[in-house]
Amino acid sequence: MNHSIMIMCEQSEGRILPVTYELIFCASLIADRYDSGITVVLPGNIAGADSISGADLLVINSPGLAEYTCEGWEKAALLAAEQIMPDIIIIAHTSTGYDYAPRVAALLEGGCITSVAGIEFIPDGIRYRRSGFHGKLDLLYKAGKPPLVITVLPGAFPANVQQAEPGTISYINAAIDPVFTSNLQFMIPDQSNTELEHAEVIIAAGKGIGKAENLQMIREMASCFSRSAIAGSRVACDNGWIEYNAQVGLTGKKVAPLLYVACGISGSMQHIVGMKDSKTVVSINRDPDVAIFRHSDICIVEELEKFIPEFIREAEKHTVKGKKQIPIY
Amino acid sequence: MKILVCIKQVPDQESRPTVNQAKTWAGYDENASYWINRYDEHAVEEALRIREMIPKTVVDIVSLGPERVKSAIKRCIEMGADRGFHLYYDHDDYLSPSIKSRLIAEFCKNQEYDLILTGVMSEDMMSGQTGPMIAARLGVPSAASVIKLEINPEKQSIQVERELDSGHRCSMELLLPALVAVQSGINRPRYPSLSNVMRAKNTEITEIRGTVSTSAYEYETVERISEVGFNRTGIRLEGTPAEKAAALWQLLHEKFLL
Ligand SMILES: Cc1cc2nc3c(=O)[nH]c(=O)nc-3n(C[C@H](O)[C@H](O)[C@H](O)COP(=O)(O)OP(=O)(O)OC[C@H]3O[C@@H](n4cnc5c(N)ncnc54)[C@H](O)[C@@H]3O)c2cc1C
Ligand SMILES: Nc1ncnc2c1ncn2[C@@H]1O[C@H](COP(=O)(O)O)[C@@H](O)[C@H]1O
Repeated sequence: MNHSIMIMCEQSEGRILPVTYELIFCASLIADRYDSGITVVLPGNIAGADSISGADLLVINSPGLAEYTCEGWEKAALLAAEQIMPDIIIIAHTSTGYDYAPRVAALLEGGCITSVAGIEFIPDGIRYRRSGFHGKLDLLYKAGKPPLVITVLPGAFPANVQQAEPGTISYINAAIDPVFTSNLQFMIPDQSNTELEHAEVIIAAGKGIGKAENLQMIREMASCFSRSAIAGSRVACDNGWIEYNAQVGLTGKKVAPLLYVACGISGSMQHIVGMKDSKTVVSINRDPDVAIFRHSDICIVEELEKFIPEFIREAEKHTVKGKKQIPIY
Repeated sequence: MKILVCIKQVPDQESRPTVNQAKTWAGYDENASYWINRYDEHAVEEALRIREMIPKTVVDIVSLGPERVKSAIKRCIEMGADRGFHLYYDHDDYLSPSIKSRLIAEFCKNQEYDLILTGVMSEDMMSGQTGPMIAARLGVPSAASVIKLEINPEKQSIQVERELDSGHRCSMELLLPALVAVQSGINRPRYPSLSNVMRAKNTEITEIRGTVSTSAYEYETVERISEVGFNRTGIRLEGTPAEKAAALWQLLHEKFLL
């Protein structure tokens, strides 16, 4: 069976975002196998469309698509789907993607699989992989009646660099105007945190530290290392234990220290994207099946309250007197 | 105002899921504990805060699932919600958000809610689909990952602030009725007060069974479940806490980190 694949271009301020090329790569895996057509839909007038190869382009021109709105993108996707008649629609799992993608699926009466991390081929078709059960198990999904909408995790596929032939470009001039949405405003709050950016060692606290008082133990652990800083998971920040400017993850900071120590952090995908490039990852967690262990070099199944004081004692044993490390937090 | 909060009961994340024989789904043994999806607790709190601001507001709770979800609904009433609705649905396999959202949207149809609140995602399945899908089926606007909201009763609108990637934000005004999927950090959920706990004892939860036939639709299914693979070496340290601490120190020392 050949497929007709539709990709929604991910853009910001009229520019194509790199994740779009990852979506094209994902689509090309399917297309190469099933000799399928790929169409990339560009909502609004986007610069740099000539950098897309190996796919047809469909530009949807409308003044109402100058900026992202859920209803605008939904209408653009529906309009494009009417023309392309896709059986697979691929959208990035970003703050725009998860806002409108499920709506598109519902309105097309199709199924929907979000946060897809990979695809697999078996003799009778395509399977989509994502994790579930608190990240403890991998799930392989099968599509139902088409169309199927999938949202793909940024970073799950390499960016497409294939020098394929450029496809055809077509245009739809539409009058998409937001009806329900007004007063759109974008903001970039100041969340700078130079300590965290420069730290070589980051000790990160999660919900597992249990209470604010246990932060002392995290600080003491950090002071065992030089050039260290402390950080937190979203829950640690929501609970007021750690400042929001030290939150690591999708909506926080992306860090890549030499050493990242996750203390009582479960390892949800939104946290992992913020620290996965760390050189060495150590995790301390009392749950032997916790998801963070699959992203760790060294796993310690233990209660934090038992392990961390032991570690601090151990480190002190080796410290030359009077030469205590100076943390930078 | 009439507000509906959709809540999901989720298993405690430290409980171990057991994969069934056919490897198509996983379940929990009877000792597993369940709680209200964390994001949904924030949604309930937000609804209660709106009621404090706007007199004559009614806060309804709906949850779809087996018998045990009644305890989660009850807990929301203890927090202060007015009424609870249980859409009875017992299943021990994958339940597509497409089906869930159909059933919940069907329930909403004759209720005329001004505002529907959901969590941005469920902690266990993390699909983030149910909310936007309910909104689409009802033909109302929605916003996902909202960390601030304010109702404007005169304009029949709601001002929302969405969290975007890397901490960026965006605010907008949506016409009511609307659906908002809330993100954590929007508030601190309250604990039940004694008076609400007493009131909850006398509050009936309305059970609704089998309103819609979903068999006509064929949505995605989970075909196979497997253990997760490892992205790194994942060496496990063994021994007493002190032995593990010594081993960790040694390993980090060898890597020149200590
Ligand atoms: C749109 C969106 C964006 C998000 N962005 C981010 C983000 O940027 N950063 C982020 O971190 N999260 C983010 N999240 C939230 C994320 O999904 C998780 O909810 C969050 O990371 C969980 O934090 P946690 O691991 O600290 O808490 P939990 O998931 O509750 O985990 C706590 C862990 O501690 C362990 N534990 C408990 N007690 C002990 C003890 N005594 N000793 C040892 N271990 C113990 C438990 O086994 C558990 O594994 C986002 C979510 C959404 C929907
Ligand atoms: N079984 C359910 N009953 C009621 N609401 C639900 C149910 N499942 C999901 N929801 C709502 O939809 C949100 C997103 O869930 P999900 O799509 O499973 O990630 C949750 O935060 C709930 O508000």
